[in-house]
Amino acid sequence: MAAARRRIVITGGTSGIGLALVRRLAGRHDILVAGRRDDADALPVLPEGVRYVHAPLTDPEAATRAIAEALLKAGWVKLDNLILNAGTGFAVEGGTETAAQVRDTLAVNLTASVLLARALFPWLDKAAGTLTLVGSVAHTGQGLFPAYAASKAGLHGLARALRAEWAGRVAVQIVHPGPTRTEMHQKAGHDPGRLRTIFIPADSMAVMLEGAIAARRSPVTLSFGRYWTGGAAWGGKL
Amino acid sequence: MGREAVSAPPNALVTGASAGLGRAFAERLAADGFAVTGIDRDAPGADPPFDHVRCDLADPGAVDALVGELAARGPFNWVVLNAGISATGPFEMIPPGAHARLLAINTEAPIVLTAGLAAAGALAPGARLVFVSSLSHFTGYPGAASYGASKDALAVYAKSIRAPFKKAYGVSVSVACPGPLRTDHAARHAPEGADAEKRMPPYEAARRILAGAQRGKAMITPGAGATVFAFIGGLAPGPVTSVMKRIIYDKLDRSVF
Repeated sequence: MAAARRRIVITGGTSGIGLALVRRLAGRHDILVAGRRDDADALPVLPEGVRYVHAPLTDPEAATRAIAEALLKAGWVKLDNLILNAGTGFAVEGGTETAAQVRDTLAVNLTASVLLARALFPWLDKAAGTLTLVGSVAHTGQGLFPAYAASKAGLHGLARALRAEWAGRVAVQIVHPGPTRTEMHQKAGHDPGRLRTIFIPADSMAVMLEGAIAARRSPVTLSFGRYWTGGAAWGGKL
Repeated sequence: MGREAVSAPPNALVTGASAGLGRAFAERLAADGFAVTGIDRDAPGADPPFDHVRCDLADPGAVDALVGELAARGPFNWVVLNAGISATGPFEMIPPGAHARLLAINTEAPIVLTAGLAAAGALAPGARLVFVSSLSHFTGYPGAASYGASKDALAVYAKSIRAPFKKAYGVSVSVACPGPLRTDHAARHAPEGADAEKRMPPYEAARRILAGAQRGKAMITPGAGATVFAFIGGLAPGPVTSVMKRIIYDKLDRSVF
């Protein structure tokens, strides 16, 4: 029996793990991607049939409005999955970020997630849906990018509280990916060097992420332990 | 040591100094001979033992201006990032502006201040830098989800910069996770019927936190109750969060933000 078609919103779906996940899910499900690129840049990389809304999360309030309006415009009255995957960060010397780096990191990773979870709760509630927060293995602390680690710790705490608050209505989970072969490190100003060759390919991470979302458990760590034991081969399907 | 010297007394900085735990930090540091600068949006009342600088930490422009002003007053030997607000109630019933304001005050402002003071050379070598997080860091906090998130973020920020700040600036970074305190803040957000007598007096918490930071402790849980809670919460965050839901979320009689 084919799985039912789901309605899914994915933030940060135009690159990295997000895009890999969109490519896996497109065709099987209805997808709205939100991203910081404008339409002309974003649409060519997205699979056919995927909806797109330009909503840079550096302005969390405006982005939340734009995404809610896009849902109304699409005629979606309920949402099966909200996958808050967008993330940004900056690698710095001496643990000292600039004010602008701190603010961008917290706005995109934490404040936007809080506002989107809150605004889209009624949609998720109608479908008894799942809210997935994409964290990072850095959520326990990382001196190379402190504000990024802080923002991901915030998501971890948010998920713990909301999972209890919304129990029986909306499933809430936090998923912490390990080092993944995406453009993120380069964008963050960090060169992992030859270490990058052992990073987990984005497509494999997307397989593990899809499996974690389907299982609705929390918290989940998707790192080398799972990858090297075949995690990308037996992931469940959404 | 050097208390009678003619040189100016060493500087201390406390955010959220006008009331509650912040006031207790400021009074304690002033009694120990520091020239205390106290940041608060509200006036401190009569005879504050510190120099009050008014600032709304939710306003990014005001925080940027504050970094400049503090850099001119420094360097600081103690920095206590204590200012915080809460928002209690079902997460989806709290207005978005209240969540955003809370994250700006509890997480963004202390991080921007810390990085700004460090970059400006306003942290004295050997200085103590203390972040006030919450005991909720060891569990989940249903009924105050964004507050819990803001304090988890702050605790992990402190943990992240501890080694780099020691190396780059010679500064010792601590994070404190106090449990419920006998303050107006706690009374405003606690469920009705909660027993204020069971909460630790803020002066007691401030004393224990400053002593821990002085010793260079990374994590300070003031009091035996907080230490035990942190231990159990660390072992079993899921079940402890369920208990927190029963004793807090299920008893919420009002939303406060």
